[in-house]
Amino acid sequence: MEKNYIIAGFGGQGVLFAGKVLANAFMLAGKNVTWYPCYGAEMRGGTVNCEIVVSDDEVSSVHKQYADCVIALNQLSFDRFISKIKSGGMIICNSSLVKDERPRNDIEYIFEPMTELADEAGNNRLANMVSMGIIFEIEDSLNQDMFEKADDIVLPETRKHLAKSNLDAFLKGYKIKTPA
Amino acid sequence: MTQKELIKGNFAIAEAAVRAGCECYFGYPITPQTEIGEYLSQRMYDLKRGYVCAESELAAINMVIGATSTGAKAMTSSSSCAVSLMQEGLSYACSDELPVVLVNVMRAGPGLGYVYPAQGDYFQAVYGGGNGDYKLIVLAPSTVQECIDLTYKAFYLAQKWRNPTMILADGQLGQMMEPAEYGEYPYPEVDTSSWALTGAKGRDNRKIFSCASDEDEHNAKIRRLFAKYDKIAAEETEWEEHETEDADVILVAFGSMGRNIKATMKELRKQGLKVGMLRPITLSPFPEKRLSELADKCKQFIVVEMNMGQMINDVKLAVNGKAKVDLLNRPVGQWLSVEEISEGVHNILNHKELAVL
Amino acid sequence: MQQVFSVPKSMKKDFKYTFCPGCDHGIAVRLVAELLDEMNLTENTILAASIGCSVFIYNFLNVDSIEAPHGRAMAEATGVKRVRPDKFVFTYQGDGDFASIGLAESTHAALRGENLSGICINNTTYGMTGGQLGPTTIMGQKTTTSPMGRFKETYGYPIKIAEHIALCDGTAFSARVALDSVPHIKKAKEALRKAFQVQLDGLGYGFVEILSTCPTNWKMTPEQAHERVRKEMIPVFPLGVFKDVTAK
Repeated sequence: MEKNYIIAGFGGQGVLFAGKVLANAFMLAGKNVTWYPCYGAEMRGGTVNCEIVVSDDEVSSVHKQYADCVIALNQLSFDRFISKIKSGGMIICNSSLVKDERPRNDIEYIFEPMTELADEAGNNRLANMVSMGIIFEIEDSLNQDMFEKADDIVLPETRKHLAKSNLDAFLKGYKIKTPA
Repeated sequence: MTQKELIKGNFAIAEAAVRAGCECYFGYPITPQTEIGEYLSQRMYDLKRGYVCAESELAAINMVIGATSTGAKAMTSSSSCAVSLMQEGLSYACSDELPVVLVNVMRAGPGLGYVYPAQGDYFQAVYGGGNGDYKLIVLAPSTVQECIDLTYKAFYLAQKWRNPTMILADGQLGQMMEPAEYGEYPYPEVDTSSWALTGAKGRDNRKIFSCASDEDEHNAKIRRLFAKYDKIAAEETEWEEHETEDADVILVAFGSMGRNIKATMKELRKQGLKVGMLRPITLSPFPEKRLSELADKCKQFIVVEMNMGQMINDVKLAVNGKAKVDLLNRPVGQWLSVEEISEGVHNILNHKELAVL
Repeated sequence: MQQVFSVPKSMKKDFKYTFCPGCDHGIAVRLVAELLDEMNLTENTILAASIGCSVFIYNFLNVDSIEAPHGRAMAEATGVKRVRPDKFVFTYQGDGDFASIGLAESTHAALRGENLSGICINNTTYGMTGGQLGPTTIMGQKTTTSPMGRFKETYGYPIKIAEHIALCDGTAFSARVALDSVPHIKKAKEALRKAFQVQLDGLGYGFVEILSTCPTNWKMTPEQAHERVRKEMIPVFPLGVFKDVTAK
């Protein structure tokens, strides 16, 4: 069973970082996983995204036409990827920057004001970590311990002091209940 | 057992080169492989090994030629349109029989093309863009783990056979992360003392050069090189093969596309179709013998490539008319998905017009 | 009886002389061989040869050598030196090789301050291919590809190589010499010695441009050819040292 996630947002929102944390956590959970970023001139427009594919078996193609789950941290990302979600899939939106509109009725929506929640946790730039909290809450194979370990792996030596604020923001999302 | 870590393909190649004992890196930036040079700039400095920001790819490949002429392990890395600039050097290095290691993280061509991944350099790698009769050893990884394993192997084979060796990866593999582990460099060190330039002390001077002094010598030299290529083919040909025993259809792809045909095979098996797969790991030498054997039983091969059909020529030569060989392809951009390949296989089997992919 | 003239030890015993009569390559190669002897470098040397008449140096010298594609000698020399810094590494190139097709490699080796020695034979033409216009062909000079003589509208101007290399911050020594007379030959040898010594001392890039004859393609006798070096070349390419970091 393969499942793929796209995380998308502005450059500076920590999209690639969040993706690496998610991929590392899946690895710690014993899954096969790949992380694949947009790169080159694709990044010059100011939006960034990366794709994570997780599987119990070997991961096949690492970049797919449609996603099971999209995390849209800004409006541009919502607009770009809303049509790229599989029927029955899900989009998780940062409602601080994404309008609550639901153009498709064959997917699930989660709207949470991630930037505001991150601000409450102490750093409004950590909407990416709030979104991780939501994903980790939803995914049965992931938990808070794996987040902390994965975050530690991805944080470079010079940034280890950010682990606390990352966790604080993560916990804001982690406490949000999954949709019924 | 060492713990696997999530590693980016470009970094995997770079760090594996370090662990293989690469003494000097020479390179020039080009997307999507620039991280190899970036990574090694710090790493080689820390290890007090050599690192040169070359003024061009022309210079870079010739710096590797100079370095390897002394018996040192050295490498360069580049991508597609810039690997084109290195073809002259590769032709010389094959004739000089130097253990050059070159990484090509392919992007889309022709010309400048674009940075997204593609597989358009198969012909250039396998048949050569340089002049004259020569062959590279070409290794094509499909996972980050293979980026490591085949980088180790490239340094070993290059020295073992005194032959330039290319790792033919692609932008997807260079940019993606996947759990992998480095382990130890698994090959013995090769003795280069019988030919390397070390200064003519206590022996006659040595000349490493590509030109011959007369026709007879020249013919003999090229025949000797090709006898060497035959030996390489006999000893080093490598491929991945699954479920071919009872297969009615065998999918063939190299590099990243190998992942997609493997998943497609599993999907079609679930649907009840007898599908197998073969992924050449060495593109040169090519597993032509194995494909020929398989063609005695299986009558339908489908080659899946991100180009207009390059490796399919070698599959056809190997199959030699014994079976039908069809192509599923897209020249650049989004890689053919499992769904698309599955649909294409059904269409071919049902003799339908191919859907435009 | 005292022997006053002999073949340098760095020359191969069985070499066949393949340069044209009156060509200065013979003198230049001999100077290199004498210096390899005098500086005790022969057994520790790796030569990056080039393409053009200059390539034949590897048939004369008893040193390890690698042939470079046209223009790439400095790249190959860089590769050798970076992995074997204890070796003495030099190139011997023509003006086309060094300053036309190989100008990027030559310049950047100097800019990087590679501990290498470069020798460039400037004879104002492509000798091996039969006398075509090259990067150092002087204004008005007739060649097989400028039969009416070099003029700026079509052909532009010649490059002054030694001055160009002297402008690079990594250059330790750059000079231009000639071989048209005994005093000039003596000066040439001293310039080459300096270009070798700066490498040995780890000071950076040592370079000598040698004004040289090509009687065959100039369609001149050896005497006329040397007269041309004096009358036509030296006024355009002045002799001298353009950079010397060891100068007091």
